[in-house]
Amino acid sequence: MWRATWRSLLARKVRLLLTGIAIVLGVGFISGTYVLTDTLNAAFNDLFTQTTRGVDVQVQGTEAFALDPSQGGGGGSERQPIPGSVATQIEGLAGVQQVVGNVQGYAQLVDPVTEEAITTTGAPTIGSSWTPLAGLEIVEGSEPTNSTQVAIDAGTAKAHNLSVGDQIRILFEGPAREFTISAVIRIGGTDSLLGATLAVFDTSTAQDVLNRPGAFDFLSVVAKEGVAATTLRDEINSILPEGYEAITGETAAQQAADAVSKGLGFLQTFLLVFAMVALFVGAFIIFNTFNIIVTQRVRELGLLRTLGASRRQVMVSVVVESLLTGLLASAVGLVAGIGIASGLQALLKGFGIDVPSTALLIKSRTIVVSMVLGTLVTVVASVAPARRASRVAPIEALRETGSPPTSSMKRRSLSGAAVTLLGVGALGKGLFTHTSNAASVVGLGAALTFIGVAILSPLFTRPLAGWIGAPFNRRPISGRLGRQNSMRNPRRTASTAAALMIGLGLVSFVAVASASLKASASAALDKALKADYIVSGSNFNPFSPQVAADMAADPAFEVVSGVRQNQVKIGTSSAFITAIDPSTFGAVSSLEFSTGGLNGLEQPGGVLLYKGVATSKNLQIGDEIRIGFASTGVQPFTVEGIYTDSSLLGDYAISIADYETNFVQQLDVFALATLAPGVDKAQAGAAIDRVTAIYPNVQVQDQTEFKETQAAAIDRFLGLVTALLLMAILIALFGIVNTLGLSIYERIREIGLLRAVGMSRKQVKRMIRVEAVIIAILGAILGVAIGILFGIAMQQALKDIGITKLAIPVGQLIVYMVIAGLAGVVAAFFPARRAAKLNVLQAISYE
Amino acid sequence: MSAMPERPDSRGASAARALDLTKTYGTGDAQVVALAGVTTEFAAGEFTAIMGPSGSGKSTLLHCLAGLDTPTSGTVHIGDVDLTTLKDKELTRLRRDKVGFIFQAFNLVPTLTAQENITLPLDIAGSDVDGAWFDTVVGTIGLKDRLTHRPSELSGGQQQRVAGARALVSRPAIIFADEPTGNLDSRSGAELLSFLRTAVKDHGQTIVMVTHDANAASYADRVVFLADGRIVDEMRGPTAELVLDRLKSLEA
Repeated sequence: MWRATWRSLLARKVRLLLTGIAIVLGVGFISGTYVLTDTLNAAFNDLFTQTTRGVDVQVQGTEAFALDPSQGGGGGSERQPIPGSVATQIEGLAGVQQVVGNVQGYAQLVDPVTEEAITTTGAPTIGSSWTPLAGLEIVEGSEPTNSTQVAIDAGTAKAHNLSVGDQIRILFEGPAREFTISAVIRIGGTDSLLGATLAVFDTSTAQDVLNRPGAFDFLSVVAKEGVAATTLRDEINSILPEGYEAITGETAAQQAADAVSKGLGFLQTFLLVFAMVALFVGAFIIFNTFNIIVTQRVRELGLLRTLGASRRQVMVSVVVESLLTGLLASAVGLVAGIGIASGLQALLKGFGIDVPSTALLIKSRTIVVSMVLGTLVTVVASVAPARRASRVAPIEALRETGSPPTSSMKRRSLSGAAVTLLGVGALGKGLFTHTSNAASVVGLGAALTFIGVAILSPLFTRPLAGWIGAPFNRRPISGRLGRQNSMRNPRRTASTAAALMIGLGLVSFVAVASASLKASASAALDKALKADYIVSGSNFNPFSPQVAADMAADPAFEVVSGVRQNQVKIGTSSAFITAIDPSTFGAVSSLEFSTGGLNGLEQPGGVLLYKGVATSKNLQIGDEIRIGFASTGVQPFTVEGIYTDSSLLGDYAISIADYETNFVQQLDVFALATLAPGVDKAQAGAAIDRVTAIYPNVQVQDQTEFKETQAAAIDRFLGLVTALLLMAILIALFGIVNTLGLSIYERIREIGLLRAVGMSRKQVKRMIRVEAVIIAILGAILGVAIGILFGIAMQQALKDIGITKLAIPVGQLIVYMVIAGLAGVVAAFFPARRAAKLNVLQAISYE
Repeated sequence: MSAMPERPDSRGASAARALDLTKTYGTGDAQVVALAGVTTEFAAGEFTAIMGPSGSGKSTLLHCLAGLDTPTSGTVHIGDVDLTTLKDKELTRLRRDKVGFIFQAFNLVPTLTAQENITLPLDIAGSDVDGAWFDTVVGTIGLKDRLTHRPSELSGGQQQRVAGARALVSRPAIIFADEPTGNLDSRSGAELLSFLRTAVKDHGQTIVMVTHDANAASYADRVVFLADGRIVDEMRGPTAELVLDRLKSLEA
């Protein structure tokens, strides 16, 4: 039995290869994701160990909770600065050798040639004080020693062709300033801090420009020879005032690395979702391939049964074949993952997410997860075909064209409907009710829906394939034959198409979701904005409140109102809080209140709520709500108003004054401006140019332009997601190649006959191509239909949080279907060539 | 019966001929000689049977004549065309336009109806079906009421008759039949052979048929006997008994 399995595997190397590819790619995606994120994590750990080398104890403000770097917001650290007096006090301690005060904050460089702000995508733009401890290493020049000098990182210097002696303008929270580059530096042995830009000043300049007068963000303390770091840490802690803490340098490095790995964890989960989708599609291919193989081997299986093999043995032989396929493919996938890791890195870079390249790290976890998952998926997908194989009766060995038993269409429709309903139910539960792990429930629901539709699809494959193929159903005969071939085995066609359905379903869903998002955002702006202009940072990075202040001073503008945003905790869950100026915000927006109003924020301690939040938390005007800040801890606020549209402010809004009390970093996320009466377009344009000349990191746009920028950002994300789903689509195309290949093998005599009676090679190719195109378009139509339904469900579920409009990008979805059809042509290439090259004589005399 | 179809070559002229045809497989010690120099001619409007023991090369000869296989040396002509000079594309077209086929089994495309199978060569060529001629052919095979059936719904004999109709409907210069009755019971076999006989007699069709059945050969105008890749004898106006005797002497 074992030998029969092994022989069967070896005898069909090409088939093994094609089947395996589905798993290789899925597993490769998983292992690639792990390799990439592990490598990045290790790189960060290394870096932070480097930058805290020689530091025994670090002193910093306490943080009530860590801001989640993946969630955006104002960004940066929210620890309270340390007064200079504390530093002096620590210096006086017996165990202390040296105390270095460090300042860190927002500083954005402006390229002197292009006069454009140097932006990063995600990574911070850091300004800091010079320190002898943080592993800074001068490549060229000398350390900055006065208020006109700055040192910049080698990465930025290289990218923007900057060198020592160049003049450079730098943007801060406060007014921008001019500097001379005194040094180009490396940090912890690398050119740049993981894509961040770095501007280093002497300490007093840093305190000045980064708005820390006489204070530091953290202190690096070196212990005297023989004094243990932990001893010194405890000693310092005993004298520190409330709100500050001392930790060892080692812990500090760990904390920094942990913060980064939290962000990477998000990236990892994001990528793994797509890897799972790819593997899920792979499972369909495995299922389909093994089903076809069982059909083709029915005589052989019958023979084995005649010779005394038990049902169990037949079943085990098929499962073992899949086990070996799975193991082999997973191993290849694991290795391929290393290549895919580099590919992912390049892809992320292409979409503006810059990650450093270092030697790749392969953890044992990566190996175990890849091997187990890949093998498991393969084996599970082959169980149903194996059971079918075990039901082959011995008599089949003697039949001319035997076929293994198949479940009745009635049973199929019942089980298909059950699975679909289960999936739709889970989707509904995840989307429309408050579940703790909504994302997983939605994911499971989507997977079940796909499986359910796949089970049901053979029921309507014949009419649907016939309808899709209708344009081919005339002369020449090759098109007609191709169409009929696609209809002759509905199960096979359906499950091949189902694999493509999944990828296209998700791509279409994302298209519908992002079109709805764009439409909703645009509608919200129309409704909620009175402002003529919207000021936003490039790449939606936050920018200095000085921009709004300068604009307000310009006579061209009547009212300019800055808006800030950051993370807080309400109870135990994270939330966003928005800060506005109640005296100006009313002039730039048309926010509607069900009770209360903007003026409620004029006194400290007031908060405005979105109606949905007020309802779900059962809060009314005058009620108290406790808001947790990273820097200042939990503070009581009083509900002063309830607004009916969350598109501008989100769920919670406080005054700028309260924001300044409770947050360390002060940056605007956007600002709204109205023109002064009588200012015409040209004058407005000139005023805008004045602003952007000083602050090249912002753009001042009217509503139409702003909508375009917003749409472009959404499209970029759509592009990234589509690119990541390409793997699943690619696997599905391999599925088509595989099915066609196996079908051709099965129809070898038929093709031989057609060739004998005069069908040309070209016509044979066309016949195969038509079949492939029909399968591909069938999958695309099912996918697009499911994608639209998912999109509608999502829009309905997120109605309350701002996705008020449903938009279905019909043109785009049609383009997807056309592309799917073309992909079918590509998938048919090798099978068609093989069929056309068949030796006619061998084919017709083939047994 | 409708009027006799027009043909480029009149009865009696050569429809196909082979000149010093050889076919060998493999090289050196493993070399197998399938045809060792066959020269023969098939007159238009004549029904020829090729007979011989297993391994005599009769199937190889048929495949070479029909443009399905390429001879090692020698020439094959169908009409005026030398097959050995043709490339695959031209051979395919020649098979489509000038040659009809009836194989022993698996003659029909399972996804097509009987009617579609009959017109297959014309549909491949993209040429129009002559309605009157189609009706005549279908009438001869007696399957008028089965035209919309798929092959799986037809008996073996019916399937072979559909294949016969397909071979006839494009009015090929020559029909090659490879053991067409090999899988049929004697009654169905007789029906098919009568049909072929009628096609020759009434419509002047040229047919070359390989068979090992003396009774089948008796329907032919002429029998060519093959042994060890050579033509060893010929017989005109054969009867089953005469053919059987001749075969016995060949195998002895």
